[in-house]
Amino acid sequence: MIELQNVTKTFYQKDREVTALNSVSLRVPPGKIFGVIGTSGAGKSTLIRCVNLLEKPTSGQVIVDGKNLISLSASQLAQERRQIGMIFQHFNLLSSRTVFDNVAFPLELSGMPKAAVKEHVAELLQLVGLSEKANDYPASLSGGQKQRVAIARTLANNPKVLLCDEATSALDPATTRSILNLLKDINRRLNITILLITHQMEVVKSICDEVAVISNGQLIEQGTVGEIFANPKQELTRQFIASSLHIEIPSTYSERLSTTDAEGLHPLLQLELTGQSVNEPVLSEASRLFGINFKIISAQMDHAGDVNFGVMLIELSGNRDNYTAAINYFIGKHIKTQILGYV
Amino acid sequence: MSDSIIQLLLNGTWETLVMTFVSGFFGFVLGLPTGILLFLTRKGQILEQAVANRALSILVNIFRSIPFIILIVWMIPFTRGLVGTSIGVSAALVPLSIGAAPFIARLVENSLLGLPSGLIEAARALGATPLQIVYKVLLPEALPSLINAASITLITLVGYSAMGGAVGAGGLGQVGYQYGYIGYDAVTMNAVLILLVLLVFIIQHAGDALSKRFDHR
Repeated sequence: MIELQNVTKTFYQKDREVTALNSVSLRVPPGKIFGVIGTSGAGKSTLIRCVNLLEKPTSGQVIVDGKNLISLSASQLAQERRQIGMIFQHFNLLSSRTVFDNVAFPLELSGMPKAAVKEHVAELLQLVGLSEKANDYPASLSGGQKQRVAIARTLANNPKVLLCDEATSALDPATTRSILNLLKDINRRLNITILLITHQMEVVKSICDEVAVISNGQLIEQGTVGEIFANPKQELTRQFIASSLHIEIPSTYSERLSTTDAEGLHPLLQLELTGQSVNEPVLSEASRLFGINFKIISAQMDHAGDVNFGVMLIELSGNRDNYTAAINYFIGKHIKTQILGYV
Repeated sequence: MSDSIIQLLLNGTWETLVMTFVSGFFGFVLGLPTGILLFLTRKGQILEQAVANRALSILVNIFRSIPFIILIVWMIPFTRGLVGTSIGVSAALVPLSIGAAPFIARLVENSLLGLPSGLIEAARALGATPLQIVYKVLLPEALPSLINAASITLITLVGYSAMGGAVGAGGLGQVGYQYGYIGYDAVTMNAVLILLVLLVFIIQHAGDALSKRFDHR
């Protein structure tokens, strides 16, 4: 549905050439949600702006729904953009128009008759759950409500594709979840293909089918969310995955953490489960096999695509002689195991 | 104050109002599109056009640097060609409008620069043409600030028209100049001043109220 072929974009800043995108190629199949994740300045904003040619690529092809956008004239492009919805981090609603008139805006642009506009806008507001705010001005809405208006506005054109430019970055976690649910719902019910960019792995994890990691204007890794979480090849990808798992040694433990083993101390292990880890009840299994007790101090397990992954801090006690065997057992099950110290 | 003086003041006030508002109107007719073009042709804007922007900017700067009192005299041949005379209210309208236009153009450009750039981006993404962006996004969104620009312009024009009065434009300026300055009639001069101050206050107040009325940010 969306295809970028070797898209390169260079900017000139005071005679200095800056390559924002370096031969980026990606393909988003129809009906899928594709996420591009990267740190700020990695080129993800430029990437998504190249899809509807808000930024014109220096070279490369942009094909949306079988049409090569690069070859279109300005007016053909404006027409084609109506098929490509877009929402933004800062919503970009028109402050001089009410919620109703904001959603009606794209319909006015295409010259839809007033009566039809009224009906269509009412449907859209219903879809995003803001019917009773129709006559309010955006200034009186919360961030999440503003983004809902922006979504309704961009859906007014019945787009086949939706581009989300950091659409949840300015929202709090609860609102982020509700907007992500709405996007997922739109994707399923209206069969709209979504390309989103974000710096939050949470977003990728909760709604994307496929993901690409962008760094310095290049896509360094891409695949299904399951594959990437199961088997991240790049360090940056690992960091993004780790960032979506927040785990810390509690201060009561970190204060008495010793780097060397001694009689009476128990090892503190960090277990990292990825998609490669065997999907078995490993803790109880190891407990039975080696006569060791495991105390879970902190753990976060999660699910992305069809992969379970997570991090766990556990304290070992019991048969000291079998500690090494237990650790080797974990390693044998493809669990990344690390001794953090002894408590 | 005699009846004839009162009649003179009333007449002067009317002429000043006509000069201010009519030249303000024509000033906007010329200045608004110019300001929009100055904005749209800037670097990074939708009709980026460095040469046109530079040329327009220079033209605006030239007209803005001519002192108004000199502009009136300098434009006499043109004024005479256009309205047939170089004396009186209708003659004054020509240099007043030309004097106000570049000023308005810069105010309009500034108003548009104050808008969040994301608005234009969103409109482009929704498939708006440049013309639709101008009249459906830029102008409505900048309206409160454009109204402020209009009150600043009208107040400047009250002052300009009074200046014009010294060289035969009519209006309160001429009354003040002839009776106050040349005839040294303190009462008339002060009455003119009070009327001018009132006029400025009313314009500013109405402008503020109107701008607030349209501001939904």
